[in-house]
Amino acid sequence: MDTNKVILGIYNDPDHIYDTTKKLIHDGYRVRDVYSPFAIHGMDRVLGIKRSRLTVAAFCFAMTGIVLALTLQTYASYFDWQMNVGGKPSLHIPTYIPITFELAILCTAFGMVGCFFAVNKMVWGKNADIIDIRVTDDLFVVAIDIIPNKTDVAELSSILKNNGAIEIREREFED
Amino acid sequence: MSYESPIRDLLVTGGKTYSDITKDITRPIENKPSKAWWLGFGLSSIVLAIWIFSTTYTMLVGLGAWGLNKTVGWAFDITNFVFWVGIGHAGTLISAVLLLFRQKWRMSINRSAEAMTIFAVLCAASFILSHMGRPWVAYWPIPLPNAFGSLWVNFNSPLVWDVFAISTYFSVSLVFWYVGLIPDIATVRDRATTKARKFWYGFFAMGWNGSTKVWHRYEVISLILAAISTPLVLSVHSIVSMDFATSLVPGWHTTIFPPYFVAGAIFSGFGMVLTLLVVAREVLNYKDYITSEHLDAMCRVVMLTGTLVGLAYITEFFVAAYSGVEYEQYAFLNRAFGPYGWSYWIMMGCNLVAPQVFWSKWARTTPWFIFIMSIIVNIGMWFERFVIIVTSLHRDFLPSSWSMYTPTIVEFSILLGSFGLFFFLFFLFMKFLPSINMSELKSIVKTKHALELEKHYTELLNNNHKMPQHAHETKGDSVHGH
Repeated sequence: MDTNKVILGIYNDPDHIYDTTKKLIHDGYRVRDVYSPFAIHGMDRVLGIKRSRLTVAAFCFAMTGIVLALTLQTYASYFDWQMNVGGKPSLHIPTYIPITFELAILCTAFGMVGCFFAVNKMVWGKNADIIDIRVTDDLFVVAIDIIPNKTDVAELSSILKNNGAIEIREREFED
Repeated sequence: MSYESPIRDLLVTGGKTYSDITKDITRPIENKPSKAWWLGFGLSSIVLAIWIFSTTYTMLVGLGAWGLNKTVGWAFDITNFVFWVGIGHAGTLISAVLLLFRQKWRMSINRSAEAMTIFAVLCAASFILSHMGRPWVAYWPIPLPNAFGSLWVNFNSPLVWDVFAISTYFSVSLVFWYVGLIPDIATVRDRATTKARKFWYGFFAMGWNGSTKVWHRYEVISLILAAISTPLVLSVHSIVSMDFATSLVPGWHTTIFPPYFVAGAIFSGFGMVLTLLVVAREVLNYKDYITSEHLDAMCRVVMLTGTLVGLAYITEFFVAAYSGVEYEQYAFLNRAFGPYGWSYWIMMGCNLVAPQVFWSKWARTTPWFIFIMSIIVNIGMWFERFVIIVTSLHRDFLPSSWSMYTPTIVEFSILLGSFGLFFFLFFLFMKFLPSINMSELKSIVKTKHALELEKHYTELLNNNHKMPQHAHETKGDSVHGH
């Protein structure tokens, strides 16, 4: 059963929110996400986020760069128009290495960052759906789904409060 | 969330909280610039005007405006190019290599060092453009098919490799810098009080919301970007060095050039980072963020790389002597004792001898002294390139072509002006972007909770109890301290 109502527990200490999130997940609550001003180490594992496949993307882009660079250099200097510069060979793989290396890195960086923006749906000028404006400053927010007829809001609130929440709010998500 | 290195003092002092960090770092963006900023910005604008004037003059008159001759056909321009590319290297080293080595002290300085990289590479590229003499055909080194009016480029030439290396370096550094900036731009966006600030920072923040999912991916790509930037930075100066090393000129034709150039680049880059940060921490009052620990660590790098470069100078001499080739031997003897001998000894003094003062802890932690040393380092590194380029060329293979090179006022103006371009951009950066990485810095300050725990456990320790750690901090590295 899907829901778009959440309870927000707002904390001012990353250790508190870490412990709370761990406890909530252990108790069977559905934690939607945790928002923080910096990456809390280990939080991704607590939330069960699978390791990002951006690394695979990076590898594919690197390979693309290598193939692109080798093709370009071999085609231009051997197949299309051979030049005799100081008697050096036209088809000479070792001298292709520097450019191949640079293009591999260029493709990896741009391709991977492009994918990063795509999976996060980040785009220039996008209006941010900010859960709490202070989350980019000094507060940490945990968002827990309220499942109708199942989630005991009062009990949940007391867990949040007892674990150091400085503020508890309800909010609706638009998705 | 705190980190303590067993061999270092705290990296953020003054008991700063998260919101203190936000306030301190966004202060220059949210307030009117100080008098010191206006003074610096004004001065660099004037010097930038000199750069615009002298490069325009060169382009109108041609390279005859410079002191080049048939024998020394490459001098100030390439010296300045290599100098500026080298400056850039420290930024990538700090943000990429130190990230891979998990050196937390990089966090307060990586943002400004990366900005420095980008601006320095821009300055370097400007010399490439102006030394071409005909900058309107600057697109020729790009591989374009015959129909464009020229043959394909020669892929056997290190000059073409350089085109790829420098443009990749610039664009990858820019991407790395921008990705690192996004969370901080979002912070400025969320604090914005004016419409313009809300719009522009909102535009570039790309809808950043601080979600753990996004942070997870962010950390993954930061790591990969660091992993690819590390070999990239090594390759860039290696390729720059091959512009010389693949030639047949005695004094250039040396196999140790790539590692020697990379060490020199890091050396001069750290020199420039120190110049900038010693001033920035005073002017912006960032002494709690850029502590004497940071200066200490950077001075150690300067000493190490300076000594490495010195070792390379001596190795070159040894190899020349050992080779038994009299032309090679002459090239090096001429370097040290010939007509440009003075520049050789400036180089030796500034790069090998001077940094040895950093064996002393006082020297590594005294800002005014570090500032003077950082200038000396950069003078030395500029002269290193001058020595390599000019002394090797001015004694040609035929004694009848031997000549001397004297730069003209136009060349001096372009060099001076490039500093104007660099500082002009740097002052704009300090005004409009958070010059310290807030989100990374927040991850290493001690929280109230951590401080309470520490107090609690110290008491327990005093009662002969073993000090337990916070639940999630026992696994993996001790990033969170205790």
